[in-house]
Amino acid sequence: MKKTNIILLVVIAVAIGVIITMVGDFSTYETFATARQKEGKEFHVIGTLDTLQHMSYDPQKDANLFSFYVKDKTGETRRVVFYGAKPTDFEKAESIVLTGKMEGQEFHCNKILMKCPSKYKNDQVAVGNQTL
Amino acid sequence: MKFVGEHLLLGQLGHFFAVLAFVASMVASVSYYCAVVNKEESAKASWKKVGRWSFFIQSIAVLAIFCCLFYILYNHFFEYKYAWRNTSRDLPVQYLFSSLWSDQEGSFLLWSIWNSVLGIVLIRTSGKWETPVMTVISISQLMMSSMLLGIFILGYKVGSNPFMLLRQAEENQAAPIFQSAEYLSFIKDGNGLNLTLQNYWMVIHPPVLFLGFASTIVPFAFAFAGIWTRDYTGWTKPVLPWGLFAIAILGLGIMMGAAWAYESLNFGGYWAWDPVENASLVPWLCMVAGVHTCLAYKSTGHALKSTVFFFFISFITILYSTFLTRSGILGDSSVHSFTDLGMSGQLLIFMAVFTVPSIWIMIARRKEIPTVNKEESTYSREFWLFVGALVLLIAAIQITFTTSIPVWNKLLDITGLRNLLKIDQMAPPSDVMFHYNKIQIWLAIIVGILTALVQFMKYKDTPRRELTRKLLLPTAISLVATLAIIFAGGVHFTEYGAGFLAAIYFMLFASIYAVVGNFMYIFIGLKGKVKSAGASIAHVGFGMVLLGALLSSAKKEVISLDKMKMLSQDIFRKESKQNARENIMLPLGVPVEMGEYHATYVGDSSATGDAKVYFKVDYERKDKSGKIVEHFRLYPNAFVNTKENALTSNPSSRHYLDRDIFTYITATPPLKDKNAPADDSTKYVSHEVKPGDSIFFSKGFMILKDINTKVSNRNYEAKAGDLAVGADLEVFTQTDDHFKLQPVYLIRDSAYQYSIEDTLAPLALQVRFSKILPAENKVQIKVKEADSNSDYIIMKAIVFPYINVLWLGVIVMIVGTFIAIAYRVKLNKGGKTGAAKAKEPAKQKV
Repeated sequence: MKKTNIILLVVIAVAIGVIITMVGDFSTYETFATARQKEGKEFHVIGTLDTLQHMSYDPQKDANLFSFYVKDKTGETRRVVFYGAKPTDFEKAESIVLTGKMEGQEFHCNKILMKCPSKYKNDQVAVGNQTL
Repeated sequence: MKFVGEHLLLGQLGHFFAVLAFVASMVASVSYYCAVVNKEESAKASWKKVGRWSFFIQSIAVLAIFCCLFYILYNHFFEYKYAWRNTSRDLPVQYLFSSLWSDQEGSFLLWSIWNSVLGIVLIRTSGKWETPVMTVISISQLMMSSMLLGIFILGYKVGSNPFMLLRQAEENQAAPIFQSAEYLSFIKDGNGLNLTLQNYWMVIHPPVLFLGFASTIVPFAFAFAGIWTRDYTGWTKPVLPWGLFAIAILGLGIMMGAAWAYESLNFGGYWAWDPVENASLVPWLCMVAGVHTCLAYKSTGHALKSTVFFFFISFITILYSTFLTRSGILGDSSVHSFTDLGMSGQLLIFMAVFTVPSIWIMIARRKEIPTVNKEESTYSREFWLFVGALVLLIAAIQITFTTSIPVWNKLLDITGLRNLLKIDQMAPPSDVMFHYNKIQIWLAIIVGILTALVQFMKYKDTPRRELTRKLLLPTAISLVATLAIIFAGGVHFTEYGAGFLAAIYFMLFASIYAVVGNFMYIFIGLKGKVKSAGASIAHVGFGMVLLGALLSSAKKEVISLDKMKMLSQDIFRKESKQNARENIMLPLGVPVEMGEYHATYVGDSSATGDAKVYFKVDYERKDKSGKIVEHFRLYPNAFVNTKENALTSNPSSRHYLDRDIFTYITATPPLKDKNAPADDSTKYVSHEVKPGDSIFFSKGFMILKDINTKVSNRNYEAKAGDLAVGADLEVFTQTDDHFKLQPVYLIRDSAYQYSIEDTLAPLALQVRFSKILPAENKVQIKVKEADSNSDYIIMKAIVFPYINVLWLGVIVMIVGTFIAIAYRVKLNKGGKTGAAKAKEPAKQKV
């Protein structure tokens, strides 16, 4: 067998291995209800801001704590806690993709992706509480 | 109805040129195709002539579309949707270019212009390859110009017309405003350009990136032409400079985008593994792999098939990335993809038109593509070039696989496999950076080490002793340098455990090795001949990019940590590490410790004609004895929309040779507080004092020194007959600063009493001398403090060490690649250099 062929086989094996380990990294889109069943694991939740309920951010007390209410696809509303500054234009977001996990009755998220009305074409904003 | 004030001619002209470009490129494609397949020489020649002329015509038409569109934007003709959507009257002229390519139509136009330029260069330079190569280019122009048509063919909307009128846009047709003939007089201003695009990088980054995109078609076209015309080997010579050009320009375009992200987006970095970034990186990796296997082929005859494959997938992945970013499919996973224009089908056709024939022809004629049956030696350069190319391929596959998650979801839905296999909706990994980094770092280590080693190998076979001898010094130097950096405490990155830290150490070595190895090779292998050292220089640059990326990410430090809050609440919680409190509040005028600096927010400022508000933040660094050794001011700025209280901020950085201090605003107090007419929520407090008495206020106290008839208050203008006295006050605060104030009390025209305030801005203090009380030998001083906490900023500050190594590396890499291009072009012009080149294998590696 030619060396090139052996190398190719090795490469294919590595590639398959890499892909399999990667799939394990993939997160899933959940609702609050399904995320609660698997408490402690991180998920993506898509929802809309519940504007009827209070949104709180008081930087004078804590610049890294922002909480609000989100209604997910099934209509369930949960309080969401984000350890970071309140993103700009947050009220205008049409829908929100949250990355985080359920902790009791609250959803703790570390990343918010907002989709704003198509006023601009680059109309999405991602905010993480950590510099990635 | 006749509408008043519209400039319809321009749009009609523009649309005419769009149609002309489409028709002309169709003629060019057919003619060039006929010129290739026709057997008769005279017919070939005349087809070629038609092809050339129609390509020229389409080039002119494309340029004309550009001019029409720019004219519309420049004159703010808001009857056109494109102008209304992307510009506003106050937009500075240079950003009109950003507006032009901020939408899909404009960016296709830009791409199309570059394709035309490249096509014309190819017509002039590619000789006998002109007809097959130009067939491919013309077809791509045909696809590209169809994107700008905006006409209905068989009920399907083809393309999107950039000259669409606002009143004709689908969403506007029913709007009452457009029922009025005078509607234009109501449209005073456009929507404006997205604020993050109002940045000089957005003026130059897209043209470079799209030139990079456009240039990847040339190696594709040559490879395709070679197989199509069954001249399986001849194309590898003219293709090399083009492949190098694509590497240089696409690489430059990507890194300019990174620079833009670094300077204007608040991701806190230059690279976030965002799908849009990934989508342009993958074709670059494929192109780099292709150029390297092509070199291996030219010297040894090995790896021709893989060269074809890499050049094919490089362009195919460009088309795939175009599909990903423009079809709206990335919606939930990317920060900056385009929204759906309803052209997904057309984009898929675009991709299929190039993918299907190229893959098919490669498979169908695989047996005809010449191969060498002799096995490569393990000590040969070609063997390791091939291995390196495969490693790049794995990198490309991994990146593509994860980036394509939305595509997998879609495919699972379409095929019905989701229900069959019960698979959930997949989402991108929650820690995206680590997901990519933990795999890519190992690949980067291999590539880095190969970059250093392979230069020293010869094609076919290398005497082992010679190899070890030459490698000894660079290896030793790199090892020593790596260990020195590690032991000097250079790199700590324990966040992801020891395994990843080990990977970082390996990568540190690999990137240093790449730099040192290639640098020394210029002298050991090439005897310092710069003209032929393009490859080595480019590799040094590549090593520097790896090194800079490693050091700046592994040693990146957020200095704006809110330690107080961390201690008080979070330290006992399990998320305390994860939820690092990276935003800090700076109240006006109060120094806050950040890393080795004290930062003080000293106010904001704005200028007329500039929509931005600049927040002034003073940084001070003190040595141990408390002496200020360094002082500088940063101006992180933000576009502040007062109406909606929205904020789009731009970072400001202090650049040092070895690090950047990167500062940006994450929030400001609601602005209405600030703009409200003299917030009189607080009241004046009266004090009756005599000289020598003190008056206390929240931040300190002041002493009435004297009542002075010499008035020096700058707000006071003396008039004849005035009877004026000033109260000399000295203000002391908790910090060692003290200030002087002199409010004034005066009697004018013997009747009217006035008092002229004095203010102390840093403490938000207003002091008024309101009365003289002769009976008690006292005066009345009124003091008002504005609510000091109402003015503050929330900001983030990050130190990026050694980021300049990265940027410098990019420049070195580009320069090196261009030296290599010049060298290749010269070799190709030299004609029968095939034999001569084989004798100089040292110069072959790029």
